Formats: sequence, structure tokens, C-alpha cells
Amino acid sequence: MTPYLHWSPTGQSGLSGPLLQLADDCDEAFRILASRWGAAEERHGAMLPAAALQRVGYLRSFPHQAMFPVRLAPDEARLEAFRDEPLDALGQVSLTSPGPVTEVLTPAACYHLYHAHQGQELDAPLYLTTKNTCFRAESRYEPLRRQAAFTMREIVCLGSPETVAGFLALSRMHAGVLLDALGIPVEWQIATDPFFQPLSSPGYLMQRVSPVKHEAVYGTLAVASANLHHDHFGTAFGIKIDGRPAHSACLAFGVERWLWSILQRHGEDPVNWPSAATAARAL
Amino acid sequence: MRSELRSFVLGKARVPRRPEDLTDQTPLLTDGWLRSVHLPELLLLMERLRGTPIDVENLKAGDFRDIDTLMARFGPAARLDTVSGLDTVSGLDTAP
Repeated sequence: MTPYLHWSPTGQSGLSGPLLQLADDCDEAFRILASRWGAAEERHGAMLPAAALQRVGYLRSFPHQAMFPVRLAPDEARLEAFRDEPLDALGQVSLTSPGPVTEVLTPAACYHLYHAHQGQELDAPLYLTTKNTCFRAESRYEPLRRQAAFTMREIVCLGSPETVAGFLALSRMHAGVLLDALGIPVEWQIATDPFFQPLSSPGYLMQRVSPVKHEAVYGTLAVASANLHHDHFGTAFGIKIDGRPAHSACLAFGVERWLWSILQRHGEDPVNWPSAATAARAL
Repeated sequence: MRSELRSFVLGKARVPRRPEDLTDQTPLLTDGWLRSVHLPELLLLMERLRGTPIDVENLKAGDFRDIDTLMARFGPAARLDTVSGLDTVSGLDTAP
């Protein structure tokens, strides 16, 4: 494993030196792609209101992946008890009594965008891009491939069904060309999200009979996904275009997975790593 | 079965729709007659009407496209052993 990767088995990576530069370089490449649509950059926080996510059924569809910021209840006696013995014998935090939990740690970067633009009446398609650290509980973790905390860059289009379909087709093409330029062979495959109890999940059934998710897969690893939401977010957040709920789609990149793919393909010597940003500028 | 499916769809339409606009070739999902929340109930209805269970893992793209497709795929004339392979990529490390 490269010395520039600082892995925590709880599911997160630290990056340093050339590997950190490569991560920034990949993100710059994604921003260059986003600029093809004139996508406006936004930066959002680490948490989303649980009530906002509930409007789009996230907690119902993915309760097994949701992670929450927890604080101790502001009760002095309990805080004192916690202070005296914050960890148990296993090193686990001995929560005395948690305070109210009203937020969810960001599960996908683009949720912030729909939430931030709720109630907006669009007079033209809206293109946005954002990056965030995303949090998902998983049954196992693997450095750069599957993490509890990972970096996601997304490019989002909100507009008419026709505009959104055009965006998705073009974004897949651009992402494919970029991956090709980096020597990472991928196949675009139909996929489904990891719904909880999928056989009885409306979302899972919908994705099976009306595919909305395509993944760029390198070997067995999905490095990007193109997702069609129809008017799911437009309806939930009251975003309209031409008086009707806006349709939306997103192109999502898992930054750490791009690092894994580049290392897998080009080895651990930074001298051999290609520049994604240079490749993106040449597209 | 066809008429029961038709009644189900008309009963679920989000906004008032004219029954005459629903034909056996009307796209049920892409035209917004049905939404994802209706699919488990539709699945149960079809299982009741056909008298045999439907394996969700054998569902594939387009199976719920319209009433004609539902009849061809799950109606009395459909044969379970003609179900084709899956389109999905189960087992992958799926992306964001």
C-alpha cells in the first residue's frame, strides 16, 4: 500500500503527498467537466436535516447506511458521569443520554443542492456542482474502494425531462472519454441502489423495472454513476420549471475510487500517475 | 386481469386523468400514471390475479411499461421459465 495513504479500519482514508495531489487533480478534472455546462460551484456542510431527507424517503430506503451526528444531552449530571468514564473497556464511547438527533451526516453530495434550491422557480435549466464528504455505514470497509467516509463530486442538472436526458447522455460520454484517456477501461452498466430490504422496497422495484442508474465499472468497482431522478427531487423540494416540477439528474464521482483505479492501473510510483485534469482539459 | 390492472392504475393516478387516456399501450411509469410507491401493491395484485408468486429478482427493465407488457410478462399466457437474466450488476461495489 502506498505510504501516502493513511487508512483507518473504521472506514476512512487520510491522504498526503502525491496521493493528495492526485485526489485534488481528479477533482479538478471533474470541475473542468462541470464547466462544460457552466455548472455553478456550491459548498455545503457536513449535515442535512433529517426532515429534509425524509421528504425524499432516504431514511426509509437506506436506514442501514444512515449515519448521524450525536451529542450528549445537555444535562449536567449526565455530562459529569460521562466525563468520569467516557470510554468503556472496549474503547467504545459510553453515551449517557444522547441529545435530540435532528441531522443526518451527508449521504450523497447532491442532496444539499435540492435542499438549498427548494421552492425555486427556474426559468432556465440549472447546472450545479458540489463536493462533499459522504458518510455511509457498511458491513465491511476496504481502503479507497469502500469507505464509511468518502469524497463525492457531483454535477447536477435541473430542468425539463428533455434537458435532463441530454445532460445525462453527454455527461456519460465525457466521463467515459476521461476514463479512457487515463487508461481506465470501464463498462457502463445498469445498477440499483443498495435499498434496505430491497424485495419489498418501492424504490428498488422501480429501479428494476425502470432503470435510472448507470455505473461506470472498472473491474468490479463502480467509479462513477449517472442517475436519473425524474421529478423526484423537484416534487419533494418544490423546484419548478415552466410551472411543473423540475426533473433532475446527476453525474457522481467517487474520488477515492478514482485513486484506487489509477493506482491499480498505473502502479504506486507517483511518477507514473497520469493527470486527470490535464486529460480533462484536452477533451 | 386486464380490467383489474386498468382499474388499479386509474385508482392510483396522482392527478385526475381521463380514463380514455389510459390505453393498454400507455407508458405507466414514464407518463406518471404510477409511481414507485405503487409498485409493491401492483406486484401483490398481479400475484393474486395470476395465482402464483412473482420473483422480484427476475424483474427486468420494461416489465411494467404498460398494461400490454404486464399481461405478456405476468398474465396467464406468460411462462415463468421464460424469464430472462438480470440486467443489474449485483455484487459490485456500487458507486454513490
